[in-house]
Amino acid sequence: MRYDVVIIGGGHNGLVAACYLAKGGLKTLVLERRDVVGGGAELDHATGPFSPQIITDLNLRVELITPKVRVLALSDDGRSLCIYNDDVGATVKEIEKFSAKDAKSYPEFVESFARIGRVLAPLLSMTPPSIDQPSKADVWQLGKVGLSFRKLGKKDEYRLLRWGPMAVADLVAEWFETELLRATVAARGIHGAFAGPWSAGTSLGLLWQAAMDGSAIGSSTFVKGGMSALAQALGDAAKSAGAEIRTVAEVARIEDGKVVLRGGEEIEARAVVSNADPRTTFLKLVDPVELDPNFLLKMRNYRAPGAVAKINLTLSGSLSFKGVDDEAKLSGRIHIGPEIDYLERAFDASKYGEFSREPYLDIAIPSPDVMSIHAQFAPYKLKEGDWNTRREELADVVVDRISQYAPNLKDLIVARHVITPLDLEQTYGLSGGHIHHGEQTIDQFFTFRPLIGWAQYRTPLKRLYLCGAGTHPGGGLTGLPGANAAREIARDFKAGKL
Amino acid sequence: MTQKYDVVVIGGGHNGLVNAAYLARAGKKVLVLERRHVLGGAAVTEEVFPGFKFSVCSYVVSLLRPEIIRELDLPRHGLEILPLDGTFTPMPNGDYLWRVNDHARTRREIARHSRLDAEAYDEYGKAMIEMAHFVKPIMSMTPPDPTTLDPKGWKNLAFLGRRFQKLSDDDKYNQVQLMTMSAVDFLDQWFETDVLKATMSASGIIGTFLGVRSPGTAYVLLHHYMGEIDGAFRSWGFARGGTGAISNAIGDAAREAGVEIRTEAPIASIMLKNGRAVGVVLENGDEIRADVVSSSVDPRLTFMKMIGEQHLPDDFCADLKRYKYRGSSGKVNLALDGLPDFKAMPGPGAHLRGAVSISPSVEYMERAYDEAKYGRFSRRPYIDMVIPSLTDPSVAPPGKHVMSCFVQYAPYNLKEGNWDQKRDEFGDTVVDTIAEHAPNIRELIRDRQVLTPLDLERDFGLSEGNIFQGELTLEQLFFLRPAPGWAQYRTPIKGLYMCGSATHPGGGIMGAPGRNGALQLLRDWKRFV
Repeated sequence: MRYDVVIIGGGHNGLVAACYLAKGGLKTLVLERRDVVGGGAELDHATGPFSPQIITDLNLRVELITPKVRVLALSDDGRSLCIYNDDVGATVKEIEKFSAKDAKSYPEFVESFARIGRVLAPLLSMTPPSIDQPSKADVWQLGKVGLSFRKLGKKDEYRLLRWGPMAVADLVAEWFETELLRATVAARGIHGAFAGPWSAGTSLGLLWQAAMDGSAIGSSTFVKGGMSALAQALGDAAKSAGAEIRTVAEVARIEDGKVVLRGGEEIEARAVVSNADPRTTFLKLVDPVELDPNFLLKMRNYRAPGAVAKINLTLSGSLSFKGVDDEAKLSGRIHIGPEIDYLERAFDASKYGEFSREPYLDIAIPSPDVMSIHAQFAPYKLKEGDWNTRREELADVVVDRISQYAPNLKDLIVARHVITPLDLEQTYGLSGGHIHHGEQTIDQFFTFRPLIGWAQYRTPLKRLYLCGAGTHPGGGLTGLPGANAAREIARDFKAGKL
Repeated sequence: MTQKYDVVVIGGGHNGLVNAAYLARAGKKVLVLERRHVLGGAAVTEEVFPGFKFSVCSYVVSLLRPEIIRELDLPRHGLEILPLDGTFTPMPNGDYLWRVNDHARTRREIARHSRLDAEAYDEYGKAMIEMAHFVKPIMSMTPPDPTTLDPKGWKNLAFLGRRFQKLSDDDKYNQVQLMTMSAVDFLDQWFETDVLKATMSASGIIGTFLGVRSPGTAYVLLHHYMGEIDGAFRSWGFARGGTGAISNAIGDAAREAGVEIRTEAPIASIMLKNGRAVGVVLENGDEIRADVVSSSVDPRLTFMKMIGEQHLPDDFCADLKRYKYRGSSGKVNLALDGLPDFKAMPGPGAHLRGAVSISPSVEYMERAYDEAKYGRFSRRPYIDMVIPSLTDPSVAPPGKHVMSCFVQYAPYNLKEGNWDQKRDEFGDTVVDTIAEHAPNIRELIRDRQVLTPLDLERDFGLSEGNIFQGELTLEQLFFLRPAPGWAQYRTPIKGLYMCGSATHPGGGIMGAPGRNGALQLLRDWKRFV
């Protein structure tokens, strides 16, 4: 039994790739290790947002919900700052509570990032050009971006050039004086990263977010019915496009033109597409003798130090947060991390193999009885003990922290589910427990993701491709890596290379 | 009284003098004005205590551009570089790491810690020299402005692009990593020995407000492989007579070329006439007219103090205010009755002739940074010590020694108290830290000079005490240094040029900014006559 394409991993990018390839008439099989598809998608509470283009292309039966509120930031003095998705006026009013000056600069901040975002957006859905011999298409694509860059006007052009490598703490300080606002905006730069706001290059996260949905602040675009609904929709779309999906089918080995399942079953394919992260793909699934030692060395040096833990709480009633006058303000994300120094200290701990005693928390309450918590920093490598022994200790720290803002939390907790970086690796197959399949620093970005020379979704093995978050444009539930990869793979099929 | 020059150069530091020398050699009538009584700015030798001559601020030389040494014929003007042999890193456990210029010995020494690292060390050296060769031409280039269509600028960018394309895949990979990664992340890929990584990464943080784990610090590792004394990459040295001898040699070369130099001539302001610089006014009221003013002092002094915001475009002012100085280091100069005795290697010996680095582990370095982030100086700082009197007896009385200690981190902005109150506490911290490795240091100290970032600002005109006239971070390098759109040594004020470390390619006793600035000014000359 031979397939055109076998996709390893039924995460959202794998499924997106499957949809496009199957629609293109290729006989496609998706192999998922777990008994459900969706992979790490269920770990996230908000999407990147998920690419609207892909939703239309695949006419996915999924409803994205974008609440009025983007993020609600809590501060220790009992006040809160609400940032709205579109309503700049309302946000300005909120900021005025803290600083008239900041309220004045906010609209320009929004505008500037929107403009820059529009220029960067086309990069998201393009295949990073090859540096050695850029194709005509590459040059044309970049040329277009270059032209729109010129249209930005000097001020924004320079901003774009300066901000890329900058520490996000410096960037927000250029705009705002209110610590709470600074920290809330800066959070996007360190979300899921092994970095603090004072780490250079963290501004990139804000620029990238702006490219995705025009705002520098982390998105609060949810999926109706939760992430499982998205996985469901993608699965259905893939099937109706003619793709097969097999769950509980763990791939043990990738060989030239075939995969071997745990248990020995071999499945042949003209193209094998790995949605697993680069390290898992090349250091676990491929036999080292198949790869150039130099490539292996570089892959070993590909950085994926997980720093995130996920905690899900089931609640018996609705929470009340100090200083939050209006329930509706809880409809977006909730940010805990009131100061830049607070975020930096949270990171400091992880540098020495400790998890933060006062962590940076990103929370969503999709329904009154569910609380989803993204907790940073929880380093994959602990100096003392291991995650199996310290799991609950981390959860306690997090719950205590939230209780300081929502005093009735502890009485309401019915159940809690703690997912440590170790679980992220063992259960979800994320090497190093890194939710983005590897750090998104400049040296692992765009034409350098995952490695310079291998950013076109192809690999040193002729029939092996990558389609996961370890490829451009990276992590964050957009579906774009899968879509971009599918385009390149289809191209190679057309060209008769496979 | 008024006099008329073609160019008046503000500041008699090494860059100002290099700038003046090149302008004079092109036939310009040049005057250099230095605020202090000595030439050299931060590259200066002073007899701080009777008989003890210190390279008060900058204390080793390596980056000085060979073309400048050649073109200004500095050896003939008395420049003599004595080798600084190696780096000795004592460790708390009594062990040490001692790298010397003798490659075979260094390899054996590293092998003592890790055989793998000894092999990697060769590879690393080769790779870094490759990278240094790639970056070299950028040093002497006027940065292009990517936002204009000026073909000349684009020619430079294209040139760089092609050079990058020509690199081997591995070199491309290394180059990208070097430009963006943290020193430790980068070194982790090559080495396993902690003390080796700590000591090497130290060069990545000198003069910046970054930690060894902060992205962007790997680039500075390269900076240190670009040091080329006698054309040999990666060699460090002292100037005989102290760092000031370099400035004096450049000064002589400048005078010989016809430059007039005045010391103790502090400048009050830059004279403007219809928005154009036409000279300077000294604090004593003297007016000195010139077609062009070339400033080697940092942008804050040049524009905010000597010109004033009201005369400058708003965007430019905003950029200048954004430009980060953030001094992070101090200097402690010790006059000693004898030589420090290190527990890790007792007695006098060759290890004292090189640099002694207090950088026992990566965690030590990173924790030192963490304290500074929150506005305290490091309780256990990174210290780089040299004892020039061992190599150059002329700087201390017989049997006595001078030891200069570069100390990081010492943040300019303290959360509690101010530097005038904390100066001695800081000095004690440094001595205590050294004493942990060389207990006899306390008895040896006759006199001590403690320079805090505040002192560097007050005494040497380095804003916020930044030794590089502004941080060497990616967003402040190349076409963004010191301000986007103004990296071509020109300024928004017609007739005013920059030639200090705040311009490309930045700080260190390189002289490149002074030279590049002069060459750019000469190319632009017709605009002014």
